[in-house]
Amino acid sequence: MAATAALNGILLGKAGQIRLALACLFARGHLLIEDLPGMGKTLLSQALAKVLGLSYNRVQFTSDVLPSDIIGASIFDRETGSLRFLPGPVFAQVVLGDEINRATPKTQSALLEAMEERQVTVEGQTRALPEPFFVIATQNPVTQGGTFSLPESQLDRFLMRITLGYPDPDAERELLRGGDQRARLLTLRPVLDAGRLRQIQEAVDQVKVSEPLLEYVQRIVARTRQGNAFAFGLSPRGALALLHCARAWALIDNRAYVVPEDVQAVLPGVVEHRLREAADFAGHGGGALAQRLLADVDVV
Amino acid sequence: MAAERWAPAGPRIPRNSLALLMVAQAAVVLPHVAQLSPWIIAVCLFCGYWRTRVYQGRWGYPSRLVRLGLVVAGTVGVVLSAGGSVNLELFIAMLVLAFAFKLVEMHTRRDAVLVIMLSYFIIATEFLFEQALFIAVYELVATILVTAAMVGLNQMHSQVRPFASIRLATGLVAQALPLAVVLFLFFPRLLPLWSMPLPGSARTGLTDAMTPGDVAELGRSDALAFRVEFDGVVPDYREMYWRALVYSDFRQGTWRTRQEIPEEPQLLRSGDRDVGYEVLLEPTAQQWLVSLDVPFRKDPRTMLTSDFRLRSETPVLSVLRYRAVSGLEQTRGLELSEAMRQRETTLPVGDNPRMVAYARELLARTRSVEAFADALLSHIREQPYTYTLSPGELPKLNSVDAFWFDTRRGFCAHYAGAFTYAMRAAGIPARLVGGYLGGERNPLTGHWMVRQYDAHGWSEVWIADRGWVRFDPTAAVAPERIEQGPSEALRGEERAGLSLFSAARFNAGSLFGRLLLVMDSLEHRWNMFVVGYDQETQRSYLANLLGDLRPGRIALLMVGAGGVCFGLVAFVLFFRHRPAPQHPGVRLIDRFSRAGARAGWPRTPHESPQAYVRRLGGSTSLAPALVSTLAGDVEMLLYGGGEGDRALLRRVATGLRRLRLRLVLGGAT
Repeated sequence: MAATAALNGILLGKAGQIRLALACLFARGHLLIEDLPGMGKTLLSQALAKVLGLSYNRVQFTSDVLPSDIIGASIFDRETGSLRFLPGPVFAQVVLGDEINRATPKTQSALLEAMEERQVTVEGQTRALPEPFFVIATQNPVTQGGTFSLPESQLDRFLMRITLGYPDPDAERELLRGGDQRARLLTLRPVLDAGRLRQIQEAVDQVKVSEPLLEYVQRIVARTRQGNAFAFGLSPRGALALLHCARAWALIDNRAYVVPEDVQAVLPGVVEHRLREAADFAGHGGGALAQRLLADVDVV
Repeated sequence: MAAERWAPAGPRIPRNSLALLMVAQAAVVLPHVAQLSPWIIAVCLFCGYWRTRVYQGRWGYPSRLVRLGLVVAGTVGVVLSAGGSVNLELFIAMLVLAFAFKLVEMHTRRDAVLVIMLSYFIIATEFLFEQALFIAVYELVATILVTAAMVGLNQMHSQVRPFASIRLATGLVAQALPLAVVLFLFFPRLLPLWSMPLPGSARTGLTDAMTPGDVAELGRSDALAFRVEFDGVVPDYREMYWRALVYSDFRQGTWRTRQEIPEEPQLLRSGDRDVGYEVLLEPTAQQWLVSLDVPFRKDPRTMLTSDFRLRSETPVLSVLRYRAVSGLEQTRGLELSEAMRQRETTLPVGDNPRMVAYARELLARTRSVEAFADALLSHIREQPYTYTLSPGELPKLNSVDAFWFDTRRGFCAHYAGAFTYAMRAAGIPARLVGGYLGGERNPLTGHWMVRQYDAHGWSEVWIADRGWVRFDPTAAVAPERIEQGPSEALRGEERAGLSLFSAARFNAGSLFGRLLLVMDSLEHRWNMFVVGYDQETQRSYLANLLGDLRPGRIALLMVGAGGVCFGLVAFVLFFRHRPAPQHPGVRLIDRFSRAGARAGWPRTPHESPQAYVRRLGGSTSLAPALVSTLAGDVEMLLYGGGEGDRALLRRVATGLRRLRLRLVLGGAT
């Protein structure tokens, strides 16, 4: 696909993560990118917005950003003598929430309400957000200083959480040899537009899921709910998210049906931030648990 | 009330499973109520009430002294109310009493388990008294309740749900039933190891003394006397004289049986109208058996007496099943021994002088025995005699005179008694016979039921060259009784006076009557196949099955059949928890994966079927294109919506088979 190719040129050596991010957006979900500073989180999110050809705004979260800084506020217009609503950066098709966990919980929740309802309420007036509406948020791992970790209920609203990781040596060599990646971002041309994106999203809904595959997904979900390695099991929303992402992944693979490999490909991204090990009280996520699900749950 | 003075050790009974336990206890004791004295029932109820108060926290448990007093008083009471006799009922009363006392002594779980085990035992004891079908069904329900109480005892305190316990207990009992059937069929029936004291309660039925009046009591009872199944030919209703007892001794207005004269019964084969039948006699606590005239001894458990009756070696305490063959035109007793003649002509001196004079005078007029009998019968026919079940009391002395000349109201025992008396007064050997006449056919099963109201008395007269001949004087006054049964012979309020059940039986056409017939059929089958399955039947059945009754073979049969039972239960449990995969593709892949694992190429859990096929295909000499097509087909079948495609399914099946073959061959080299 053209979008994948274009993005690969920007973020070197991260083909898998780029596909996951696209799958997430095709499945109408919000995306959370988590990694250490300087790994290319912001670059990826900017490139995504650009390639999709959507209007985008960017919010840089810090601990003093207020909710009104995001959703907007009414100000007094002296010419008309009335209050005028000044929309905040959230009124865009793609919102890049950079370093979301540096904001205070109050500000986080202002954005998160918009994510779930796809509308915001300001001073008693409900305003719809543009269609499509994506939030691509990045965050530093919570062990970094100066962060407020997102609670489970809010993590759950992100369809997928991906990590980027260090690039492999070849990609890094090329990165070092090549020019400024930011400059290349400017040359990026949109590959899709809103209409084409809607078509793709509808096509994702049409991807077929067979009985044996549903049984596989159910086995995965059942595994998270029994035994004592898991602090809590996957919710039905989590199961739906897994299935929907697998559909999008299958579509990216140009297939009209889902195979177990699709589920396995999206599984870490979809479930890691929804699971927690029973022994992990800090809530660092269930990376090991997702690997265990991948290895242990029988496909048929 | 006495406070709880000692703290029992061990885990307590969960409060909420106690209720179920008490219900189970009540259910277990209930069928014994008929055998228990009323005061024991009162004690049971009081102990139940006490326990309820303890449960509510109002009363305390009895102190050690109170308990000791209760036990001593209870034992003394039981012994006193037994009246000095040591029989089965005494022991049952003792058991039930102890069982009731245990109610107020149950503290710990261990006590409750003891009570549950005791409950099972009490259930078993009920079968010493009753083996009827409805009792068996009831005790099955009681078993389920007791088991449910045990289930409840082992549940968590917070989660006691009585109906769930009962459901689980039903499942447990149902699993045990096949094994119970196997043990019932094959486990050797041992003779009783000890002699059982008889239950003291009297049974209804014929007794060894017949005062005119007794049979009237029977005539109002609709209790079942026995059931008969005929082999083939069913004799006429008027020939169905079921002989049970012979009364040879008349004193004080009462006919009694006499000690048997030890003689060989003399039978002379004359006529070939043999009738074979099987009798299922309800318990009588006596030794007489019923048979048609004239029985041959066919069953090793029966004996033939010198007056041509069948007798059981032991009192009949449970339904007895025996075979008999009777020759309907058999001549018996052509030679009459002096002892027998002496016995069958004796009358008390001075009793009934008018009858004696009348008989002698009549014999002098008629001369032959046959003519004499005819004259007596036509006297009954021509004079205003009445057949009735309520003839009024007769005096002890001169009772025959009073009936024959004055009251002229009576039923079979009056007429047959007077007839026999007249014969003896004339010096002709004669005796009164007690038994049953006729019966009622159940059209559903084809067997005959004879009830107590079919009880009948008639006479037998010895005539030279003809032996003992039956005369039924009742036929002279009420021929309908002989032809159609007791209901036809009665009229008016007497007929209405019969109880509801009898009345319904007399009208077999009604719905209720039909229901009774169905119940009777069930009961009959139960008696035939379950209660009647005794040592003899079991022996012949096993002999048929095994050919040779060596203990080793029987043990092998029991182990085998028991194993089948356990296997069935295990099979059900196993497959209830492991449903077979429904999807045809999944089934194929399952089988293929197992074969692959055997060949040393197991599928890892996370490996999708198509990836597995590709991996195995790559390791064999199969053409890569073929492997790739097969993997694609597998993918299509399982995930691409190809489950309805028969051709695809066949293709995958063939491909997998081929791959498996390669795998096995490759593994061999």
